[in-house]
Amino acid sequence: MKLLRLALRTLRREWHLAELRTLAASLLLAVVALGVVATLASRVERGLLASAAELIGGDAGLSAPQALPQAYADEARRRELAVTRSARFPSVAFAGERGQLLDVDAVDRAWPLRGVLELAAHGSSTIGHGPAPGTVYLDHRALVALGLAVGQRVQVGGQQLTIAAELVREPDGGELVAMAPRAVMNLADAQRAGLLGVGSRAGHQLLVAGAPAAVDGWLAWAKAHPLPQGARLVTTEQTQERMRSAFDRAGAFLRLTALLSALLAGVAIALAAQRYARRKTPEIALLRALGTARGRVIGLLVATLAALAVPMALLGVLLALGVAEGAWRLAGTQLVHVPTTLPLLPALGAAAMGLAVLAGFALPPLARLAEVPPVAVFRASMVRRMRRVDTLYLVPALVALALIWSQSGSAKLAGILAASLLGVAVVAALLALLLLWLARRIAPGAHPALRLGLAALARRRALSTVQATALSLGLVALLLLAVVAPALLDGWRRELPADTPNWFALNLQDDQRADFTQRLQQLGARELNMLPLAMGKLTSINGTPVDRLHFADPRAKDWVDRQLRLSWTGTLPPSNRVIAGQWVGAQPPRAEVSIDTMWRDMFGLKLGDRMRFDVGEGTLDATVASVRQVDWSSFRVNFFLLLDPAHASGLPHTWLASFYLPRGHAEALAQLSRDYGNLSLVDVDALLDRVREIVGQVGGAVRWVLAFSLLAGALVLAAALATSAAERRHEAALLRTLGARRGQLRLAAACEFALLGLIAGLTSALGAAGAGWWLGRAVFRLDGFMPPLAPLAGAALLSAVVIMLLGLAGTRRVTRTSPMRLLREQ
Amino acid sequence: MSEPSQPLLEARDVSKTVRGPEGRLDILAGVSLAVHAGESFAIVGASGSGKTTLLGLLAGLDVPSAGSIHLGGHALEAMDEEARADLRRRMVGFVFQSFHLLPALTAEENVMLPLELEGRDDARARAHEALEAVGLGARRRHHPAQLSGGEQQRVAIARAYVHGPHVLFADEPTGNLDQRTGRHVADLLFALNRDHRTTLVLVTHDATLAARCSRGVELIEGRLAAPAVAP
Repeated sequence: MKLLRLALRTLRREWHLAELRTLAASLLLAVVALGVVATLASRVERGLLASAAELIGGDAGLSAPQALPQAYADEARRRELAVTRSARFPSVAFAGERGQLLDVDAVDRAWPLRGVLELAAHGSSTIGHGPAPGTVYLDHRALVALGLAVGQRVQVGGQQLTIAAELVREPDGGELVAMAPRAVMNLADAQRAGLLGVGSRAGHQLLVAGAPAAVDGWLAWAKAHPLPQGARLVTTEQTQERMRSAFDRAGAFLRLTALLSALLAGVAIALAAQRYARRKTPEIALLRALGTARGRVIGLLVATLAALAVPMALLGVLLALGVAEGAWRLAGTQLVHVPTTLPLLPALGAAAMGLAVLAGFALPPLARLAEVPPVAVFRASMVRRMRRVDTLYLVPALVALALIWSQSGSAKLAGILAASLLGVAVVAALLALLLLWLARRIAPGAHPALRLGLAALARRRALSTVQATALSLGLVALLLLAVVAPALLDGWRRELPADTPNWFALNLQDDQRADFTQRLQQLGARELNMLPLAMGKLTSINGTPVDRLHFADPRAKDWVDRQLRLSWTGTLPPSNRVIAGQWVGAQPPRAEVSIDTMWRDMFGLKLGDRMRFDVGEGTLDATVASVRQVDWSSFRVNFFLLLDPAHASGLPHTWLASFYLPRGHAEALAQLSRDYGNLSLVDVDALLDRVREIVGQVGGAVRWVLAFSLLAGALVLAAALATSAAERRHEAALLRTLGARRGQLRLAAACEFALLGLIAGLTSALGAAGAGWWLGRAVFRLDGFMPPLAPLAGAALLSAVVIMLLGLAGTRRVTRTSPMRLLREQ
Repeated sequence: MSEPSQPLLEARDVSKTVRGPEGRLDILAGVSLAVHAGESFAIVGASGSGKTTLLGLLAGLDVPSAGSIHLGGHALEAMDEEARADLRRRMVGFVFQSFHLLPALTAEENVMLPLELEGRDDARARAHEALEAVGLGARRRHHPAQLSGGEQQRVAIARAYVHGPHVLFADEPTGNLDQRTGRHVADLLFALNRDHRTTLVLVTHDATLAARCSRGVELIEGRLAAPAVAP
């Protein structure tokens, strides 16, 4: 208690010290930056999950091959959740002579609970809900195929329905392969028409939406009870593979941003602590000389810091929450429409991390104070000089590593970042030493003021090196965020190139291939690719029938019940990578199959396992020859299971074609579809647009978070410049006493900071380019990603100028120091 | 350069007033004195008597609240800080009680500073000479922390003399040194004063040191008392 009181008194007395205020401001900044980023990241992630909800049409749900029991709806309503039911089935629609197979969604009036159902009628578009009884919405392809317009009537399932609007966009679960043109009709109409009865091919869905806690509660309740046969839960996390990949990348960006802010704060704290320790050394020496025990000295120091840190951390939490709330409101228009509550935990976590950063980064210089001998009261030089190798300096490194690991959530990302930052630190130090050596060489022949500045920098070699390194680390973080991250984002956007196949044609027969190809070429289609497609079932693994096998992964059962899509090819398709075994090739001696990683994990398969497939009337026994990593975000036609052509080509199959066709060919495609009655054409453009839109939203969110990190970086820069302020003031007073003009001091400072800026800018540009190149390839899987070198070089130069200006602004007061200060300092 | 009959340094009715937490504080009041070229002049007085303030005013580090100070014929109070800095660079050298060497620089680099400010190319050679003159030629690459107090003060003296100033101001130059070392440093100062005819103005409360000066004044609570040392 006494110690705390003494600590509070010490703090009150020392509060005027610039370095203590810098320490407090750095901690505050660290907590605010970490807190804002973490809070925003948490909200953005929730927002993105809400985006996933938009794709599903609800927050969660249940799907099954038969109508779902009323108990699920009752339980949802009991939890004050909104409920909607829907069913999807294929059905042929007729209009006069024309008939067209449609994918029909039969929905109630509440559908969709989340997301947007966009309709167009009479030249204007509206947002709507499920159609009224007796009406139907058809999409553009269906209207074109049937030769109909809004307001006309169409026959679906034997009922005459009025087309109330054109279906522009619907929450479709992010399904890539929509088999046919789409229609949305009323659920009651479908039931009346007998489309959902026993023996129908309808898939039923029950979706719920409401408060997150209630949704979680409902999901937990549903999981606790046995699901109806063939039913599975639909959650936002289980949305389409490529969507999830997009969200993962967004999360990586956000975590990266938070992480770099934390490290910037650490650099600022280390600088401020070093300065504080230097200031405290004579005082500690005096206390020790007067007989204060070492333990008590350290206790007082720790208590003083705690008295400073705890209120600052709490203030930081409040500020972070305020700023995050403000930023969310400002950014709200860019983000999803679903409101989320302000989460408190990330900001509290940030306070804990801020305190950890303070402890970790401030420890080495402050712990050194414990070693100040009482004899140092006589001569400052008796304080032990800093050892070149000191285990204490591992502490901030360990804290940084722990932060990197905790924030990145990935050992790979953590390793890359840690190695990059260490690399930058080493390169910065070496480059700084080299440039300082050069400065010393050119100094004798330079302009007197320039020479003075260069000489000053060269003489303060150790401090200059430390400063250049700290600035480089700060700048590399800023450049990574300001230049490399947007480039990565662009690269990711471009990853879906303009000529990505935007149409799929299903059900093409062998004898139609040549003619179909010719017709497409006449239309100007590009990137045409055809793969055989056989529908089959997995019947046994290693001789044991699959219904006698038990699989830990619940998805396995689902896949066993399904018709599987099988294909074969002699060459490994693009966006596929073999990670185990050998690629099957065209002519293996026995039937072989290549599986993707999801199948390996789901069924616990290994190389050499035998799988039996029933396809049509025949069977095929194939041995697992390789495991593939498939990039499901590539928008190419991909398969979980690929067989070898030598043994599979005899299976009954159709062909699946993918191709790119510029927009504006709807009529021609409708004709093509009519000419090949058996063919189903699938428009991927709509889905691609959706993905691009989500990428845009994520980009907006990252930019917001980025703005706060930039601010953090700029403030750290100022803290770094402040570390040498006291020494500079003393030096300026001495130089003024010796007759230096203000202009000479300013020019000298300009040279010094410009050189410092140049070193930091150059090093950080190199570091950011290297880290960006590495991240692009290893983490974001953007092959051929090249960091934007010209903007990086420009940013490096700009950094040099900004550091020079900041340095000049920071030393403006220094050049005005009264020379009388020296006499007063006696 | 002033004529021999003209004082090199002259203060007329100089006062300095500052505002403190307890209101107006007169540090100096009605101080007049004159120092001729080549003289050694002592300003003595108890702690807080205004010695250091007077030294700062005479050297042009600060301006008086009232009265005038002429250095080498220039009225300091009429000059701005930039012009005074110029004048200091050309005419003045300093030796401080706590040496005020820059810790990051070697002895030689500290001595080079005034020459570098003038933009001279022979800074290193002349600094070397100056260090030889104070007997520290062999220690020129040492940093201040590696030198004793007496050695640091000798480096400071070399720095004060290296650019050939007309007047050298010393503020308690032996105040931080033991008696023997202090005597050696004082010997050095007076030898340079004698050999180079550099005017020496020193502030001290050491009566022995003051007695070695050719003339001097005593300050009592900011006012001149009787001359401390007879001319």
